[in-house]
Amino acid sequence: MIRFILPLIALVLFFLEPVFGLFSPLQLDGVYYYIVPRFLLMFLIFVTVYYDTRHAMYYGLFFGLLYDVFFIDIIGLYAFLYPMICLITGYVVKSVHRNLLVATILTLVLTALFEFVLYLFFSVISVISMPVDVFLTTRLLPTMIANSLFLVMLGWVFKSLIVARLLERENSKA
Amino acid sequence: MSRFFSNKRLILLMLGVILLVALISYTLRDRDNVSFPEQVIKDTVGAGQSLFSGPAHFVTGIFDNVDSLLNTYKENQHLKARLDEFASVQAEVTDLRSENEQLKEIVGKEADLRDYNPIQATVIARNPDQWEEKVILNKGESDGVKENMAVMTAQGLIGKVTLVTKSHSTVELISTQNPNYRVSAMVIGGEEGVFGLIEGYDAKRRELMLKRIDAQIELEVGQQVVSSGLGGIFPKGLVIGEITEITIDEFGLTQLAYVKPSSDFTLLNHVMIADRVTPEVEGEDSEAALEEEGS
Repeated sequence: MIRFILPLIALVLFFLEPVFGLFSPLQLDGVYYYIVPRFLLMFLIFVTVYYDTRHAMYYGLFFGLLYDVFFIDIIGLYAFLYPMICLITGYVVKSVHRNLLVATILTLVLTALFEFVLYLFFSVISVISMPVDVFLTTRLLPTMIANSLFLVMLGWVFKSLIVARLLERENSKA
Repeated sequence: MSRFFSNKRLILLMLGVILLVALISYTLRDRDNVSFPEQVIKDTVGAGQSLFSGPAHFVTGIFDNVDSLLNTYKENQHLKARLDEFASVQAEVTDLRSENEQLKEIVGKEADLRDYNPIQATVIARNPDQWEEKVILNKGESDGVKENMAVMTAQGLIGKVTLVTKSHSTVELISTQNPNYRVSAMVIGGEEGVFGLIEGYDAKRRELMLKRIDAQIELEVGQQVVSSGLGGIFPKGLVIGEITEITIDEFGLTQLAYVKPSSDFTLLNHVMIADRVTPEVEGEDSEAALEEEGS
């Protein structure tokens, strides 16, 4: 049963993202703050850190493709970026010590990078015209705060589940 | 460097990247139709998404209910104040409605741009990355939804359908920055309707821009803006918003009015798709109006 736990979590997170997306934007003092849930991406990075890069990239490609077709109708954007982030994680993780703190910080940095790349992409194809400072204050900052809260709460759950799956895989090999 | 290229996997990766970039550039163009595999994916994901959004709407519903309970006293006061006014307005409306019907009978006019069949739908997802203003509804082709139909809430117009699959549809909200997104609108409150086009959204002010209004016409702040129905697809009379500021447009030839949308685009839940009774014109709303202006 635990064999399917990783794709299952990824699927649930994929469906949860748009549900949380319904609550955004938040209005405080007449300023709108956009919060973009990035649960799936953070989970994929955790899978890369604790499990292996190849699986994470497959999941990233699959869910990225679903995301592209269902939400943004530009096929290939997320399907490209999700595996790319996993690949970067895979390279970084080789040279750092794997513990929960490092994984959390790495995840947050890469999520911010992901957001920024998307911002650049949509600016280039001129879907949006938003100055960088507005992007930083009304989008990136609230998004990062909300996502780091989520990660602090659920990061260790991800870790223990992935490690449990890893142990099981190694046992079945032996 | 040589090790880098000798790696078969990396070459495979490069090929994948090229393929995906090609796909991006292909799908970036405005496509009229969704290909069959896309339709299948959309409907499958949509079905799964409905499972999750149902409970979420239930929970937000509870919060809404608590919220309205807390406001009950204030609201009651406000409503009581409006009640007297309401009775006289109600009488007037009934009177006008019957008069209108009689007049129509005399003239022999049957079809009206105002008539539409509402299709009730629920928002099952909002594009989580929120760069493009899109929501997904749980009604599609099999329920009679067609592309370019108007979508609204009880407060007013919120957007139009851009893509339809068998049982789901994608709605682009009116707050989009897409320059090709137009709605033909009119200002009511003056002696006769003033026509213009809703073109563009000012993200900073969070207001719509009503353009191409004749410079001779005097507008007032606070006047209501509704859809005019002349675009060929939207029914007439859907509330869009209220004028907050009037200026001259960048060329100095026509007026530009900022319109505050009457509906709230956050926390969308139940919406209505307007299926116009009068036969629709092919193409986008406002294309017909533009042609008319040109001729």
